[in-house]
Amino acid sequence: MSKPIIMCLDDQREVLSALMKDLEEFVDAFEVIDCESAQEALEELETIEDEDGNVLLFVCDHIMPEKTGVEFLSELREESRFETARKILLTGLATHEDTIDAINRGDINFYISKPWKQDNLLKVIRQQLTHALIDSGQDHTPYMQWLDQETLYKILSKRV
Amino acid sequence: MERSKLIKLFFALTAFFVVLFLPLESIPINSITLLQQRVLAIFVLAVLLWVWEPIPIFSTSVLIIFLELLMISDKGLFLFRTHSDAETFGQLINYKSIMGTFASPIILLFLGGYFLAMSATKYKLDQNLARVLLRPFGNNPKNVMFGLMVITAIFSMFMSNTATTAMMLAILTPVLAKLDATDLGRKAFVLAIPFAANVGGLGTPIGTPPNAVALKYLTGDIAVSFGGWMLFGVPYMIIMLIFVWFLLLKIYPVASKQLDIQIKGKFLKHWKALTVYVTFALTVVLWLTGKLHGMNSYVVAMLPVTVFSVTGIITVADLKTLSWDVLWLVSGGIALGLAMEKTGLSVNLIESIPFSNFSPYIIIASATVLAVLMATFMSNTATANLLMPIMAALGVSLSSLEPLGGVKMLIIGVAFSSSLAMCLPVSTPPNAMAHATGAIESRDMVKPGMIIGGVGLTLVYGLLFILKKVQFF
Repeated sequence: MSKPIIMCLDDQREVLSALMKDLEEFVDAFEVIDCESAQEALEELETIEDEDGNVLLFVCDHIMPEKTGVEFLSELREESRFETARKILLTGLATHEDTIDAINRGDINFYISKPWKQDNLLKVIRQQLTHALIDSGQDHTPYMQWLDQETLYKILSKRV
Repeated sequence: MERSKLIKLFFALTAFFVVLFLPLESIPINSITLLQQRVLAIFVLAVLLWVWEPIPIFSTSVLIIFLELLMISDKGLFLFRTHSDAETFGQLINYKSIMGTFASPIILLFLGGYFLAMSATKYKLDQNLARVLLRPFGNNPKNVMFGLMVITAIFSMFMSNTATTAMMLAILTPVLAKLDATDLGRKAFVLAIPFAANVGGLGTPIGTPPNAVALKYLTGDIAVSFGGWMLFGVPYMIIMLIFVWFLLLKIYPVASKQLDIQIKGKFLKHWKALTVYVTFALTVVLWLTGKLHGMNSYVVAMLPVTVFSVTGIITVADLKTLSWDVLWLVSGGIALGLAMEKTGLSVNLIESIPFSNFSPYIIIASATVLAVLMATFMSNTATANLLMPIMAALGVSLSSLEPLGGVKMLIIGVAFSSSLAMCLPVSTPPNAMAHATGAIESRDMVKPGMIIGGVGLTLVYGLLFILKKVQFF
């Protein structure tokens, strides 16, 4: 089986590469894919579905031309694709309306405002990855060093 | 699938087919039948798949059961049922007894344990007990460590070692940060939890799956009751705990003078929680007093299953989170043992190796050391699954073992040994979890782990000797 996938979306090239740089430690165990638009991400997801790939996490900007991050995420939700994947919205200039939308329609699991602190982002990503990996039914043991231990304890202590 | 896994799977299957299609005469086992040859092929496949793990270990069990149904059952594929010579063919096995391994009493005993553990976790009985039990140990770090170990061991007698470790590490890791970063004692604390969980599993028949596998072979005249197991399991566990505690403090001395652990919460008092407390206590009491009421431990295990289902304490959603994979892993082991016994392969195999030339002491030593070595690198349950059928046949056919306790002694010895491997992160899931905390390196585990393995084995021999002296065997 190929590596589980983390997908990052941002229309600004520099922001995207900064994000990819911050996520460098994950590339040994996960495939980190970068997309500059929702359209590109959707095409990428087609391929992933064809190859039976396992998307664990979306890290998504909101304000993008053509399709916003929330629109993209809510589309995935409506089509029930990648249901066990976790969604992080990473955005700067979101209005109050956008934020409400993100929670109600985008079904996001975490909201991080730009500019982000790397420590904080990594912690959130580890937590969300832990949930997603266990929910997707994959064996977590090979990925243990990339997961958030506290979250893992919480989940595993309930698995008698 | 990764390339390396594919290659391993390919080799395992190749070995399976090679054994399957060898001419019968070329197999160096006396008077081997065609059915025995098939079981041998399945056994070889099981060994390779459980050692290399190209597929999840529970799926190997499912594969074993399916192959048995297909190739050696009375309702298998017709090609596997036709034969010209009944003598060299052997006796087909009733398909019901192969399928029945999924619901063997042993499996239901474990299910009862799951229901107890799950309800205790759901209604915070575990957290609250931990809070109350830890209090008397004060705030001297050394005593706190022993307190944590005792609680871990007690819980892992009824919960899975993995869940216990997860729960206790969740309690431990926040306070660990309070210890000085240079304090070696941090390592001692992080190792104490998985080691105590591994050792604690030995306390009851449901403490860890290898015990359950062993129980399968302890039937009839040599049956061991729940309480009977605890009578020797718990004292062994206590001695090991004290030893591990001393050892860890010796290797990684704690410098800090104070450590406070606060566990929040209070005992729930609504009727569902009370039902959990009462049922839990009642089940354990019934398990310990089998002789008084006549119900064996398997029947008693259905009590928590029934009470918690009827009262809605365990819901449909809870039911779906049960570790069915562990139950299936054990079923596969039972099915493998069943096939080896019913076809006569295990006895035939044992008789083809001149074991009687060896001293019985050498046989006990090699069996137990082999168990520890295998369990170091692979699943403890898979180790027991593979070794127990052979040990059962060995114990019965080897008369020189009889004065030492015979098959009962050998089975219990190997069961205990299967849980003594803890020197690597891969040895047990609790070890892996402790390693993932980042507080210890692999090598920090090796030294204490190896000493515990060695001393643990010695204590097993001592235990077997005492059990023989008190005529338990």
